[in-house]
This record gives sequence, structure tokens and C-alpha cells, in this order.
Amino acid sequence: MKRRWSFALTSLVLTFSMLVTACSSPATQPQAQNTPPGNSAKPAEPPASKTVTDTLFVAINADQGTLDPAVTFDNAAWKITYPTYERLVEYDGESTEVKPGLAKEWKVSEDGLTWTFTLEEGHTFADGTPVTAEAVKFTFDRTLEIKKGPADVYSVIKEVKVDSPTSVTFILSQNFPPFLSTLAANYGGIVNPKVKKKEQNGDLGQNYLANNTMGSGPYELTEWKKGEYLKLTVNPHSSVKPAFQTVYFKIVPDATAQRLQLEQGEIDIAEGISNEQLKALKDLPGVEVLQKPSLFVDYVYVNSSKGNEALKNPKVRQALSYSIDYDALTESVQEGYATQMRGPIPKGLWGHDESAHQYKRDVEKAKALLAEAGASNLTLDLLYSDNKPWWETEALTLQAFFADIGIKLNLKKIAYATSREMIDSGEFDLALGVWSPDFGDPYMFMNYWFDSVNFGLAGNRAFYKNDKVDELVRKAASINDKAEREKLYKEAQNIVIEDAPYLYLYQKDFLLPISKNLKGFLFNPMLEGIYNLADMSK
Amino acid sequence: MKQIILKRLAMLVLVLLGVTMITFFLSHVIPGDPARMMVGQRASEETLQEVRRQLGLDQPVWVQYLTYMKGLFAGDFGTSIRTQQPVVDDLITFFPATIELAITAFVIAIIIGVPLGVLAAVKKDTSWDHISRFFSIAGISTPVFWSGLVGILIFYKFLGALPSSGRLDLTVPAPTRITGLYLVDSLFTGNWAAFTNSLWHLILPAITLAFAQLAVVTRQVRSSMLEVLGQEYIRTALANGIHGPVLLIRYALRNALIPTITVVGLSFGSLLGGAVVTETIFSWPGMGKYVVDSIAFLDFPAIMGFTFVISFGYVLINLLVDLTYYVLDPQIKE
Repeated sequence: MKRRWSFALTSLVLTFSMLVTACSSPATQPQAQNTPPGNSAKPAEPPASKTVTDTLFVAINADQGTLDPAVTFDNAAWKITYPTYERLVEYDGESTEVKPGLAKEWKVSEDGLTWTFTLEEGHTFADGTPVTAEAVKFTFDRTLEIKKGPADVYSVIKEVKVDSPTSVTFILSQNFPPFLSTLAANYGGIVNPKVKKKEQNGDLGQNYLANNTMGSGPYELTEWKKGEYLKLTVNPHSSVKPAFQTVYFKIVPDATAQRLQLEQGEIDIAEGISNEQLKALKDLPGVEVLQKPSLFVDYVYVNSSKGNEALKNPKVRQALSYSIDYDALTESVQEGYATQMRGPIPKGLWGHDESAHQYKRDVEKAKALLAEAGASNLTLDLLYSDNKPWWETEALTLQAFFADIGIKLNLKKIAYATSREMIDSGEFDLALGVWSPDFGDPYMFMNYWFDSVNFGLAGNRAFYKNDKVDELVRKAASINDKAEREKLYKEAQNIVIEDAPYLYLYQKDFLLPISKNLKGFLFNPMLEGIYNLADMSK
Repeated sequence: MKQIILKRLAMLVLVLLGVTMITFFLSHVIPGDPARMMVGQRASEETLQEVRRQLGLDQPVWVQYLTYMKGLFAGDFGTSIRTQQPVVDDLITFFPATIELAITAFVIAIIIGVPLGVLAAVKKDTSWDHISRFFSIAGISTPVFWSGLVGILIFYKFLGALPSSGRLDLTVPAPTRITGLYLVDSLFTGNWAAFTNSLWHLILPAITLAFAQLAVVTRQVRSSMLEVLGQEYIRTALANGIHGPVLLIRYALRNALIPTITVVGLSFGSLLGGAVVTETIFSWPGMGKYVVDSIAFLDFPAIMGFTFVISFGYVLINLLVDLTYYVLDPQIKE
């Protein structure tokens, strides 16, 4: 019996090894074919991106989660959904203001509660269905019914009414001046109502739209090989005729691999290359590194009511702000590819105040402020996670600056998901954070960061409360006169800079290594990491 | 024999039950909330609660566990929070790529490692032995990310001979899916373009992964062989005029293989789990990246699904290893 077993096993191993040998032999063939003697330095095939002009290759870091505009809150997903859907209004070129999109014109009532949009005719979903007012109503009703993240943004919508096939009216429950801007964001993408046919167990098509697109944008998602690539092709019914017939978003998680592929011309754009490696890329002949100021800010939450008692005193918070050498910080953390913030609203967004006070390193002043506040031998905890690769260096740099004014900083690095919970409940003294606006309005900074109704992760992560500031930002969010709003925000900014509930560190530059023969890319700070594919060519 | 298999299979069920329980409770007591990861940072409390309710996270942990197990028995691994896909579908998508990579690496490690180990033992303290030692030490002490990058640099950048990422060129359609292993599927369907192209893509990552395993195999074979070669029955065999390959393979190697199989079998398990780095460097669409992303997102169903399948594989390999003992060594009794 045992003999037979061993015989069976031996034959099995033999057969297997023969199979393997059989499998391995062709391995040498293509190699031999492609690298004939004396021609060894030639690539196996010319890189696709160099020979094909109607196809764009973009390397991205990670695969996508859900692509449903009513569910996703992930900026990474927007690079797929933005060119595949259209919105009522769109961001205009490189500006944070909006221009007509699906809607050719709109009007808003005096009280700001009624918005009526007139649709431009001739827009068609990728399956040939025309975009109507009915589809607009369907989209917003669906988002509100699904009740995930984007529904929060539109919670101000009381009702969407179809006036005619080309006219749709939004009734708001309260005046919300940034409303128009929210319609240009990803979650404003109008969805083909035929998604109803794809519904499973009453999910309103969430499962289907997680993996497919059903919009009227110039492109549609035609293939998604999980973990490998996403392939967009031109929407045959779109009136726009892009130069790129096909766009591949290729998933290349490793930065060095991306860099090599860009060097070899296998890809046109590499998204995931770190700042240190970018410097080396700048010298390559076929590659350029785009550098633009972004609205992505990096700052520190100073827990003003739930953290260390000393932090309740604005003087202590100011002392922290004065201890930092901002230029040295951006140099060490971002290789200099960043600009020091001047107050909460970043440069490039309306409402930014170029005359506002900007903190500079002044150790003596910081020490004096600490002495006035009676805070000596202070020890604080700094919470951060591995969510951003530069946070480790940033934490260490801050530790050194604070040590100069006699503050001991304990670094507490924890898992990202856990850190979010702790920030939400206020269990920290100081914490590192980043923020970027979803829509082009100072509301994104002033109301989220400082209104005391937004305590926690929602936005007021410093747990800061100032009645005057509450009043100013709430008033600014309730009127439509832009000049008046700007004035109110300016007044509020002066107070929150003085009160220093955050350490306003820097605005990061947007950096993108891109093949030199690529034309037509426009960077819109509201659409970071999103490409105007339909206008690009090579 | 049958009894042993049955007994071990019953054990397998118990082990898996334990694994699901531990993973489930551990992943749920970690502070952090997938609902919050899903709705974005600025969501209101109301939305958060609604999403928690939709995901069933508002239930007590043990109720969630029972619901999960009920689904599991029906073959339902739940729906991934991050990808919104049934976890089974995600596993079916990503697992074959990892398996294909791991098996190929494993086979390479065995094919090169066993003869190298035998050679090192027979030619002990000669230059053969030193060369084999050099390869082993290099293999075990070189981090995978480094050897992978060097491989890419040489074969992709300088020689242009091998691709650096993915399982297939973007222009080559995948073979009709049968097992999900591209080599096997393309062989079955006679799709030679896909076969050569996928093999082409497999070479660098598989060799990189095999390089680290090679050391384990070679050193283990060498030391077991040395031990066996010193035994009396080998001397007896020699005295009886048995020489060369017959002695080495039939008498020595067969006995030396038992400890080797244990080590190598278990290292296959770690190959499955440890392919993460290799997968990242070579943009290999396997489980590694999927799991790392799922963990960061606290995607409970995905984490559970992965753990379940990996532990199942581990236990199964263990069982196979044990069964091989019975075949190789008639002395081992129940």
C-alpha cells in the first residue's frame, strides 16, 4: 500500500516537473527573439505611450474604491468620475469660479432659496439617452435617499422640481451661498436615470455604479481590471470630440517603478512620485515637473477646550505659532515646494487676505508670552498617523522648535483610523492635519474650521469657540452679496489669526511629473489630481 | 490513512472557527470606524449613524459576529465596505494572481534550491559549497524590495528585456477565465499570445520572490543531507557497492526531504502572505495591496475574508505536509 503511495507521488512530482519544464521553455523564446545578439540594449517593444498619440497613460498609486458620485468622498475617485459625468455648472479653466455646464443659464431668487436652471439641449448620456430636467431631479433625489457623505452637502435641498424637460428648480430650506459651487463638485455629476434597471435589493444602483459610470461626460469607463488598470474611452454620443480616444489609468503602487516607467516613456503622467525623487526627474530630457500653488493646506489643530489646560489661553497658542521657523519647516518637510499660510483661507481662493498678520519665528516673544500666561515646563502631546508620508519629519521638526521655547513635545503616532476617532472626540493636545476644499468658497475654511457647531472631525478640530466668530461666519454664510461676505470673513480671519486655535503652517504645491509632449493640461486648484482629458493631446 | 485525514479535516473546521472569532473580535475592538472612513471627514452625526445602521455596525459585536457566521456558512463573505463588492468577488479577482506568483516562485526555489543543497552537502567545504552558501546568504539577507528594484533596473531599464509591472501588457486581452491563473487558462484555451505575455511578466517578480525562499530550501537540504550522509546505513550501502546518484537520491535525499518538506511547506504559507512587497514593486494585482488597503480602511468583511482564506490555505498545506511524511517515511505511524 505504502509503496503504491510513494509510486503515485513520485509520478506526480515527475509529471509536474515535466509540465513546469514545458512551461518554462517558452520563457527563453521571447527573450531570445527580442534581444538578438548585439542588440541587447533595445527595448522589447517601443513603449506604447511614444508610438500611440490617441492614447494617454497615467500611472496612479492605488486602485479605486466605489465610483458612485452619490457615495464616494474620495478625491482619487474623482479623476475617473469627473470626465465621465457632467454637472450643471463646471469649474472654469484654472479658476475657482464656475461657468455653465449642463445648464446654460440660471437665476436665484432674492432670498437665495429658489435656484432655477435652464439646461442646454444636445447633451447625451453614453447610452444615447438625452440629459433632461428629469435626470437632474433623479440624481439629487437619489443622493439624498442614499444618505451617504454627499447627502450631507445637499441636506440644504428641500425639493427639486421639474418645470419642463429643460428647466429644473431647486428649493432650499435656507440660504446657502456656496450652493452653486457645490454643484460643480464631483457629487453634482448627473446620473442616467436608467441606473434604476441595475438596482439590486433596493440599493438604488449603488453596486452597479460602484464599478461603472453612467454619465454624459466626454468619456465612459469601459474596462476596469481590478488592481491593474481602468480604461476610459470616448462617449460616442458626446458632442465633445477629444484627441485621446482611450485613457488608461494604470495602477503602479511603487514610486520608483513609476519613475522608471516615466523615464522609459511607458507612461505619460506619474502621480505618485515623492518630492525627493522629483528633483532627479527635473533633469530628464523628456519629462517636465509641473509646479502650481494648490489649496491643499497642512496645519496643526491646537485643542483649545478639551486638551491641556494651558492651551485654553490664547497666549500659549500664540507662543506656539511664534516658535516655528516656517521657511525651515517647508524646506525640511516639503523640499521647499510649499508656501507659508497667511491665515486660514489659502492664497488662490477668494477671501484670502494678503494684508493679514502672518506669524514669524520669534523665540523671545514666544517665551515672553508663555511667561505672561504663567505656563512653565509645559509638556504637550502631538497626535499624528502614517496617513501622510511627511508627517513623521514634520512632527520631529515641530518638536525641535517647541523645545527652543521650553515646551516638551511627546510624539504620539497611531493608526490613521484610530487617530480620526481621537480627533473627533477631542482626545489630544495637538494634532497634525490637512484640508482641501470641496467647493470654491471660503465657507470651506471659515465655517468648517471655526463655527462651534462643527466641533470634531466635521471641521472645528481645534474645539474652538468664540461667539463673535460664530456670529460673523454664520452671517457670511447667510447672505449672497459677495463683497459683504468677503468683509465679514476678513473680520473673522483677523480674530482667528490672533486667537491661533490652529498653527497655520503651509499650502502645499501641486507637483506633477508629466511627459513633455503632452499638451493642453490645465491645473484647477479645485480639481487637484483631476485631468481635463477632453482638452489634452500629444 | 483515511481516519487521519478525517481527523485532520475536523481539526481544520475548529481552527477556522477559532480564527474567524479572533479576527472578528480583534478587528472590531480596535478603535476606528469604517462608517466614518466611508462618509468622509465632514459628515454630520446623523449621516454617520445612518451609514452605521446600513452597515449593521450599530449592533452589538456578538450579534454582528453571528450574522457574519450565518452568511459564511451560506458561502457569503459579506460586502466590502471600501469597494462595495461582494468580498467573494474581490477574493476571486485578486487571489489567483497571488497564487500564480507564489507557486511559480515556489517551484523555482525548489528546482534550484534542492540540487544546490545536495551539491553543497556532497561537496562540503569545496568551492561548490561556498558558492551555494553565497547565494543563500545573499538571498536571505537581501530585502525583496531591493532585489526587485535591481531586477527592474537591469532587465527593464538597461536591457529592455522584461516588463516591470502588471500581469499582461495593456494591449493583450486576458485569457478566458477558468482558474484565474493566466498561465493555466491560456494553456487550456490555446491562447499563446496571452501565455507568452503573462509568462513574460511573471519572470521578474517570481524570481525576486524565489530568491529569498531559495536560501531556506538550500540550507535546509544541505544540513539534512549532511546529517543523513553521516548515518550508518549510508556507510552500509556504500560498503555494499551502492554509489552515485542511486545512493544520493534513493537513500540519502529521500530521508533528508522530511525536515525539508516541513520547512518548505510552511514557507509556502509565508510566501502567500509575504508576497505583498513583491506585488507592490511589480504592480502585481494580487491580494497584498488589496489587504493593506482594506486594513487601512477598516474594511471588516474584506479583512475577514482574506484571513479566512489564508488560514484555510495554511491549514491545508500543513495537512499536505503531514501526509507527505507518511508517504516518505514508512516508519511514521499514527
